[in-house]
Amino acid sequence: MNIIEVKDVVKDYSGHRALDHVSLNVEEGTIYGLLGPNGAGKTSLIRILNQITRPDEGEVLLNGKPLAPSDVMHMGYLPEERGLYKKMKVLSHIVYLGRLKGMSKNDAHRAAMEWLERMDLAEWANKKVEALSKGMAQKVQFIATVVHNPKLLIFDEPFSGFDPVNTEQLKKEILRLNDNGSTILFSTHNMASVEEVCKEFTLINKSRAVLQGNVYDIRRRFKKNLFRVHVAEPVLAPDNALYSIVSLSPRLQSGCEATVKLNQGVSTRDAISNLNGNYTLLGFEELLPSMNEIFIETVTDSNEQR
Amino acid sequence: MNKDRFMLVMQREYLSIVAKKSFIISTLLAPVIMLALVAIPALLMTVNNSDSRLISIIDETGQYSDIFKDNDDYRFRIETDMTPENMKDRYKKADGDIYAIVVIPSDVEESKTINVYSEKPVKITLSRELEEPLNKSLSDAKIASYNLPELKDMIAQSDVEVKIRSHTWDEEGEKVSSSEIAMIVGLFLAFLTYMFVLMYGAMIMGSVVEDKTNRIVEVIVSTCRPMELMLGKIVSIALVGLTQILIWAVFLGIGLFVVSMFGIATSTPDIAAGMTAGTSMPEMPTSEVSDILQAVLGINWFRLLGIFILYFIGGYLLYAALFAGFGSAVDQQSDANQFTMPIMMIIILALVIGQACMENPDGTLGVIASLVPFTSPIVMMIRLPYDVPAWQILTSLLLLYGTALLFVFLASRIYRTGILMYGRKVSFKEIIRWIK
Repeated sequence: MNIIEVKDVVKDYSGHRALDHVSLNVEEGTIYGLLGPNGAGKTSLIRILNQITRPDEGEVLLNGKPLAPSDVMHMGYLPEERGLYKKMKVLSHIVYLGRLKGMSKNDAHRAAMEWLERMDLAEWANKKVEALSKGMAQKVQFIATVVHNPKLLIFDEPFSGFDPVNTEQLKKEILRLNDNGSTILFSTHNMASVEEVCKEFTLINKSRAVLQGNVYDIRRRFKKNLFRVHVAEPVLAPDNALYSIVSLSPRLQSGCEATVKLNQGVSTRDAISNLNGNYTLLGFEELLPSMNEIFIETVTDSNEQR
Repeated sequence: MNKDRFMLVMQREYLSIVAKKSFIISTLLAPVIMLALVAIPALLMTVNNSDSRLISIIDETGQYSDIFKDNDDYRFRIETDMTPENMKDRYKKADGDIYAIVVIPSDVEESKTINVYSEKPVKITLSRELEEPLNKSLSDAKIASYNLPELKDMIAQSDVEVKIRSHTWDEEGEKVSSSEIAMIVGLFLAFLTYMFVLMYGAMIMGSVVEDKTNRIVEVIVSTCRPMELMLGKIVSIALVGLTQILIWAVFLGIGLFVVSMFGIATSTPDIAAGMTAGTSMPEMPTSEVSDILQAVLGINWFRLLGIFILYFIGGYLLYAALFAGFGSAVDQQSDANQFTMPIMMIIILALVIGQACMENPDGTLGVIASLVPFTSPIVMMIRLPYDVPAWQILTSLLLLYGTALLFVFLASRIYRTGILMYGRKVSFKEIIRWIK
C-alpha cells in the first residue's frame, strides 16, 4: 500500500521549471529518501506534498485519494529553513503548534513534555526560544514537528545543523518513530544516513527524477565487481585469468588486504576457490558502491547528457 | 477557513504583541509623554516667574504711571529721579538690572506715541503689556474729555458681535444645530480612523515581516491556510489597537477625575463667590452653554456612531489587507518602505480631502471622495454630521465593503506567494503577477 503517490508532477516558477514530470511512490511504513543536489527541486516537491503550493500539472495521492486540506492534520513537516517564534516559551510553542494540528490542549501539553524529556530539554520547557542554543532550537523544532504523532513525516534536510552526537540521537528517534508506524520521507545530503535508514529513494537532478528504487537493489545495480580480499600471506599477486588488483595494503600482523576487481564472467565461487587454493584466505567480501558514489556518478552523468 | 485554527492564531498573535515589553512600555508611556507636553510649558512658566524683567517708567505726564500692573514676566517701576537726559547713564549703571526704559512724553494724548529704550530689541510681549493699558486709559480719557456721561455706555452697547444659532428641520420638528460642533465631531472621528489605520496598519506589516524573518512562516502555512494566518493577524491587531485605546481611555478618565477633584478643591471659593453674586461663569454666558448642549444633543449619536463603526471596520480591513499583502513581499522591515509609502500617501490624501470638505461638505469633491473606498472611511466621517443622504451612505458602504473583501482576497493571493519568497526585492509588477 502506497501512502504517497506522486504522479507526473510539474511545477513552474516564473521562467523556471522546478519539477519536470516527477513521479514517485512511497510505501506505507517505510523510510524514503529524497536526494539531489541543491536547487534540484526537492523542496518544491516537499512543499507540494505539504500543500503549501499546488502542482501545475499532475497529481498527488495520499492513501489513494487526492490530497485534501484536512490531510495536514496527519502530517508533520520540518522545513529546511528552521524558524520558531523567538519570544515564545519552548513548551507553549510546541503546544501551540500541536493545537494547530488539532490536538487538545492537555494532549499537546502531555506529549510536548514527554518529548522534551526524551530529548533532554525538560529543564528548558519554560525558557524562551531565543535563550536556546542553535542545536537545542533544532531539537525543539523537531519535537514541534512530531508532537501530534503524525502518520506521515516529511523532513527537509533534518540533519543539517546538528553535531554528530545530536545527529545520532535524531537518527535514533526517526527510526523509533518509524518502528511505531510512521512513514517518513526526508530529503538529505547525508548519503551515509540514506544507506543506513532508507529502504527506497528518489534522486532528483535538474527538476527530474533521474534514479529511483530500493537502496540495496540500486547499489547492486551499480556494483563494479569489486571485492575486499584478506589473506594471511604478506602479498597478493594479480591473476590475469580471474582478477586484477585495484589496491593493496600489506598488514603487519595479519598478512595482506586488497581490493580486487573480478574479470567479466568470473563467479564469486570460482574466485573464492582459487584464492583458497593459493592463499590462506581470511576474508572475502563484496564491495557495493556507496550511495555517495552513486549520487556523484548519476548526477555527473545526467548533467553530461544534457 | 477553520474556526479553531483561526482563533488559535488570533489568540497567539494578540498575546504575542500585548505581552511584549515594548508594547507595555509604549502604552504606559504615551499618556506620560502627552502629560509632559502639557505640563512642561506650564512648569517652565512658573520657573520664569523668578526672573521677571524690570521696566523703568519715566512718566512726563504724571497721569499714567499706575496703569501698568506687574505680572509674571515684567515688573514696572516708576522712576521719579530719572529723565530722558540721564537715563542712558542710569541704564548702564544698573548693569542689566533694568530691561528697558519707557518714556511717556507729555504730549502723549496728541501724539499717541511712547518711546521704549533698551540695549537689545525688546520682546513682543512687552509691547502688548504696554499697549493694552495705555490704549484703554487714553481712550477713557478721550471719552471723558467729551463730557458726556452716557457716552461710555453707548459705545459699549454699539460694540456688536453677532452669534449664529442655526436650526434644522426634520421629521421630529425643529432642533438647534451647530456647524462648529458638527465639524469638531466629524474631524475627531475622521482623525480617529486615520490614526488607527496608520498605527495599526503598520503594525500588521511589521508582524508579517517578522514571521518571514523568523522563518516560522513555512511551519505555520504547512498547517494553516495563509488566509487564516493573515486574517488572524488583521483581527488580532485590531483587538490590540482597541485594547490600547481602552487603556488610554481609562487613563484619561482617571486623569480627568483627578484634575477635576483638584480643580474643584482650588476653585471652589471663586465659584461660591460667583454664585452668591448671582452670576454664572463669566467667560461663557448661560445661553451659549445651553446652545452647545442643545447642538450636541441635536446630533443623532446613535446613527452617527453606528455608521462610524461600519466605516471604521471597513476602512481598517481595506488598509490592513494592503499592509499585509505588501508586507509579505519583503524580507526585512527596511525594505518595506517602497510599499508603505504609497499606502500612507493615500491615507494622508484622504485626510487632506476631508479637511477641504469641511468648507463645503456637500460639494462635488466631498461627494466623490466619500464614495471612493480608499477615502470614504475618512471623508464620510467629516460629512456625516451634516446629514448625508441615505443613498450616498449606502452606496459608499457597499463600495467600501466590496473593495475591502476584494482586497482581502487579493492580499491573500499575494500573501500565499510572498511569504515563501526570500532574498530578492520584489517589484509592484511582480506582485500583480502573483495575484493571477
